[in-house]
Amino acid sequence: MDYFLFIVKSALEDFRRSKMQTFLTSLGILIGVFAVVTLTAMGLGLKKYISDQFDALGTNTLFVAPGKLLQSGGFGASSLLGNRFDLKDLNRLKRVRSVTAITPLSSKSGTAKGPKKSEFVTIFFSSEAFFDISGFEIDKGRFLDKRDIDKRAKVLVAGPKIAEKLFGSISEALDKKVSIDNVSFTIIGVIKSKGGGGFGGPDHDSYFFGPYTTGFIFDPDKKFIRFAMKTDENINITTVKEEVKNEMLKRYKEDEFSIVEPTEILSVVNGIFGIMNIVLVAIASISLLVGGIGIMNIMYVTVSDKTKEVGIRRAIGARKNDILFQFIVEAVALSILGGALGLGLAYIGILIVQPFFPAYMDVTSVALALGVSTLIGVIFGVLPARKAANLEPVEAIRYE
Amino acid sequence: MIRLDKVVKSYKIDEETTFYALKESSVEIKEKEFVSIIGPSGSGKSTLMHLIGLLDKPTGGEIIIQGRKISHLNDDQISSLRNEFIGFVFQQFNLIPKLTVLENILLPSFYARKKLNYDPREKALELIKRFGLQGKEKSYPNKISGGQQQRVAILRALIMEPKMILADEPTGNLDSKTGTEIMELLKKLNEEEKITIAIVTHESDIAKYGKRIINVKDGMVVK
Repeated sequence: MDYFLFIVKSALEDFRRSKMQTFLTSLGILIGVFAVVTLTAMGLGLKKYISDQFDALGTNTLFVAPGKLLQSGGFGASSLLGNRFDLKDLNRLKRVRSVTAITPLSSKSGTAKGPKKSEFVTIFFSSEAFFDISGFEIDKGRFLDKRDIDKRAKVLVAGPKIAEKLFGSISEALDKKVSIDNVSFTIIGVIKSKGGGGFGGPDHDSYFFGPYTTGFIFDPDKKFIRFAMKTDENINITTVKEEVKNEMLKRYKEDEFSIVEPTEILSVVNGIFGIMNIVLVAIASISLLVGGIGIMNIMYVTVSDKTKEVGIRRAIGARKNDILFQFIVEAVALSILGGALGLGLAYIGILIVQPFFPAYMDVTSVALALGVSTLIGVIFGVLPARKAANLEPVEAIRYE
Repeated sequence: MIRLDKVVKSYKIDEETTFYALKESSVEIKEKEFVSIIGPSGSGKSTLMHLIGLLDKPTGGEIIIQGRKISHLNDDQISSLRNEFIGFVFQQFNLIPKLTVLENILLPSFYARKKLNYDPREKALELIKRFGLQGKEKSYPNKISGGQQQRVAILRALIMEPKMILADEPTGNLDSKTGTEIMELLKKLNEEEKITIAIVTHESDIAKYGKRIINVKDGMVVK
């Protein structure tokens, strides 16, 4: 143990003598580790965010969307196919007994004029069942109810973010009028924040929600982009899927619609992020490689600077392995220093982006960053260290 | 104690030319001896010294140390012999600048593979006291005088309780007064502690400390 401390101390003494050089050498590793950790943290965060969104839906939830959803490049692609379904489909699906609640969904984007300012907004039109299926909670006022649907009421439930933007505060927004594309709506409720938004994920906090019957004002064709439904907990979801499928097949061909569980979407999301992570790590590895070469370079310089010292140590009895170990420890220390700084910087970076982006750092990436930098130190330190260890003692000690 | 038997050290300069740093020479140093190796620069005395000190390997002949043939030992075993058996003192002191006086003295003990029957740190502190370096334990080599540095080097040579001290021009970088002090110190070690001493020098004044003189000239040992 004494011996190990002594070797580590020998390595660190050198750094104290040349702070700038030490820092510049570990810069490559610093950037590499920073890149790996930050990018994976963002990937992980995004994945977690999306998972959380689907988790809120519960296990007994199904979607019916047009087209072959999961095969045609992800979830978003379905909206490209446009609004396909209509009221006939809704009524058909309502007849499936294992479906306990169902909502059609359509959307409309337009400019909302509030008293404070105008905003570009999106309204989701649904039935009263949507709030239960999506796991929303009310903050102020109330959700849509069946009467709103039947009466085609011009009412909206607002996300907290948009309510605040348009009216200044959440409580201000309640019972106020908002005009969207020249149609005037009354705000009857504001939901509790679901968080998130930003890159990729749906930002429920910035949406309006209205009765699907009212949505027909903007769409004379009366079409829906998809259905969301809750199924009977006591019936196996695969059975329900089969029933829904049979109902849909009465009108559509098999490749014209998809029935998806959130868990299926989740596995697709996981797949995408898996690939994304591999790509990110591969890119960042290039930086780590360059950093490793930098360390190797500086270690060769160190070895020739310390030739005399190696000679002295050999003369008083150091073995080849003692010298090898000393230089490897020095390379590893350099590399870990870079890794630790990169990690620290990544941590700060993640704290900075967290308000806008669901970045999330886990223990694995920390362990990985430090493990990889140690490994780089060993790999790129071993050649210079071997050079030092194989110096002839008599040549080394004569070196000036 | 150490015997060089018909030892040759040569370097191939090119295909046809071979340079002989040391031509076939036989030398023996006995236990408790004080030997001076003297010769002009380039005579091969340093080569001889490096061979005795096991820093270099001969191209011919055999070195026998404590009855063991060097050619039969591997690099680790030879390193251990240097560590336990021989203490080096150099002209340039050769202390490690980033280590303190105490750490420099302790350095050989870190590389020791055998179990020491004493605490090296205690021994180092005792040596420091005995050789008048108190208060310098935490100093760095560049903060103390040349004479002090050479004394630190001698203490480093002593920490492993070696059988032999090899000193290569130990006074070469010191003024004559300090040089005499260092030589007196080595003499004392030889007489009181019965440590074998071999010094290399080109100064006859210094060589006189030896009870036996080995003359080296043109790569040959002349008795």
